[in-house]
Amino acid sequence: MNAGFDRKQLAAEAVAAWAIAKKNMIIYYLKPNIIIAGLLFPLFMFLAFAAGKNVPLGALIPGLISVTILFSSSSIEPVSIPIERRTKTFERLLSAPVSLHAIVVGESLSGFLYSLGIALVPLTVGIVAFGDTISSPIMLMGGMLLSALCFSTMGTLFAAYPTESPGDIMSMLNLVRLPLIFVSGTFIPLDAMPPIGTAIAYFSPLTYGNDLIQSAYGHPASFNPLADVAMLVIFFVIFQLIANRLYAHFND
Amino acid sequence: MHAIEVNGLEKRFGEILALDHVSFTVETGEVFGYLGPNGAGKTTTIRILTGITAPTGGSATIFGWDIVRDTTQARRKMGIVYETSNVYDDITAWQNMMFAGELYHVGRIDREERGKELLEIFGLWDRRASRVKGFSKGMKRRLTLAMGLIHDPTLLFLDEPTSGLDVQSNLIIREVLQSLTERGVTVFLTTHNIEEANQTCDRVAIINRGKIAAIDSPERLKKTIQSVQSVEVAFEGGGARALSELAGLPMVSEARKVGDKVRFYTEDPGGLLREIVSYADSHQDRVVSATTLGPTLEDVFIRLTGVQRPKSREEEQ
Repeated sequence: MNAGFDRKQLAAEAVAAWAIAKKNMIIYYLKPNIIIAGLLFPLFMFLAFAAGKNVPLGALIPGLISVTILFSSSSIEPVSIPIERRTKTFERLLSAPVSLHAIVVGESLSGFLYSLGIALVPLTVGIVAFGDTISSPIMLMGGMLLSALCFSTMGTLFAAYPTESPGDIMSMLNLVRLPLIFVSGTFIPLDAMPPIGTAIAYFSPLTYGNDLIQSAYGHPASFNPLADVAMLVIFFVIFQLIANRLYAHFND
Repeated sequence: MHAIEVNGLEKRFGEILALDHVSFTVETGEVFGYLGPNGAGKTTTIRILTGITAPTGGSATIFGWDIVRDTTQARRKMGIVYETSNVYDDITAWQNMMFAGELYHVGRIDREERGKELLEIFGLWDRRASRVKGFSKGMKRRLTLAMGLIHDPTLLFLDEPTSGLDVQSNLIIREVLQSLTERGVTVFLTTHNIEEANQTCDRVAIINRGKIAAIDSPERLKKTIQSVQSVEVAFEGGGARALSELAGLPMVSEARKVGDKVRFYTEDPGGLLREIVSYADSHQDRVVSATTLGPTLEDVFIRLTGVQRPKSREEEQ
C-alpha cells in the first residue's frame, strides 16, 4: 500500500523500525514469560538432553546456543504483538507513516538483539566453565547473527495471527519450534538420525544455523558454510515476505 | 484541494457490505462530524481513510494523496486519536511522546520541544516521568491526544475524543480542539455525543447501514425535520400522570420524561399547549414552566437512522 521508496523515506523507515525495537526492549525484555521462554526453556531442554549421556557437556554448548537463539529470538513478538493488539497500541504502528516492512523489521529487531544477548550466556559458560575453544569466531558470529535474524522474523510471522492472547501464538510456535530441536542436529547429529529425519532437516532453518555454529567450534559440518549462509538468508527473506503478506491480510 | 475526498467508497467483508458507495468531501480547516449508530460503518471508514484497511471499491484521497497508492505520504499529514486510549502503560508519558514522534519522523530537537509544549498544554508535564500505568482515564486520554499531535498534523481524526471523561479532561480537550480549528487544522470527528457534534462541527454526515443518510450543517439538518417540534413542561405534581394521559392525545407523536420535566413531540405546539393548560386546570395540577423546542440534531439522527431514542432513568425504572 506504499509508494516507491526514496532515500529519505528509507532513513525514516529505519528510524521508525529502531524506535519500535527500542520500545519493545524497554517494555518486554524483563517480562517473566519472555525470560522463561527465552532463557529457562532452552536450559532445561539442554539439561534433559545432557542427562545420562556420555558426552562432555562442553560439546553440547553449540547446540545449546542454537536452541537458545531459536527460542529467545522468537519469544518477544509473540508476546508483544498480541498484547498490543489488546491494548490497541498495535493500531498506532499500523497507522503510522511507515511501511509494513518497517514494522516487521522493528518487531523482529527486538527479538534479534534479545537473543544475541541471551546467547552470550551459554557461549561464556562454555568457554569459562568447560574450556570450549572457538576455531572460527567469524563463522560463530555469522551463525548467531543469521539464526537470530531468521528466527526473530519467524516469531513476527507467527505473531501475525490475529489474536489478543500471547498463549495462542506461543502454542502454535511451539508446535514448530519443539520438533525443530529434534530434527536439526542440535543435540543429535544429523548422520545419527534416520533418513526421514535427515530429509526433514533440510527444511529446517535451525539445521543451517546450528551447522554454522558447530563448524565454528570445530565440530564436523554437514554442509558448506556458504550453503548454510545462503539457506539462512533464503529462510529470512521467505519469513519476511510471508509476514508482510499475513499482516496485510489480517489487518483487513 | 479538499482535505479529504471520498468517492464511491465500498468495503465488503465477504457477503457483508459494510460501506455502500460512500462519497463526501471535507474542506481544509473544517470540523466534520461523522455520526452513526453502532455498526453503521464509521470505524470502517476511519480504517480506510487512515490506510489500515483497503477498500474493495471507490477511492479516497487525503490532501490529494491516494490513501491506497500513497499511504505513507497521506499518513504524514494526519494525526489519529482512536476511541481507546492506546498508550503504552509500561513506559512514561515522556517515553510515549518520544516514541510517537519517532514513528512520525519528527527530529529529536523538534520532538523534545513539541513534546514538552504538548504535555504542558494537556496538564501532564509534571507527570512526564511517571509510568502511564498509574494515570487516570482522563490523563490517558489527554496523553493519547498529545501523542496524536506530536508531528503537528494538518488533519486530525478523532474517534470519540471526550467519551466518558472527567470534567477537567473534557474541558482541556475542548479547548485544544478549539485552538486547533482556529489554526486551520481539519478535524474529522466521530462521536456518539450528538450535542458535542452540534456545538463543534461545521458540517455533519450521518451514516446508517453503510450509506450516507445526510450531510449538511447541523442547523440545516435540523431544518429538514422542522415538523418535529416539542413542548417541554414541568408540572408541580411531577408529571408522571400527565405523561401517561397526555401521551394519548392525537397530536402527540411521542412523549417522554426528561429529568423533572415531560417532553411531548408534536407538529402543533400551540394546540398542545392549550391542551396541557386545560389538563392542568381539570386535574388541580400546576404548570411550573413550559418551553417550545425546535428539532435537535438528535431528532435528525433518530429520524434518519431509525435508532431508538435512549430511555431516561425514569423511563427505565
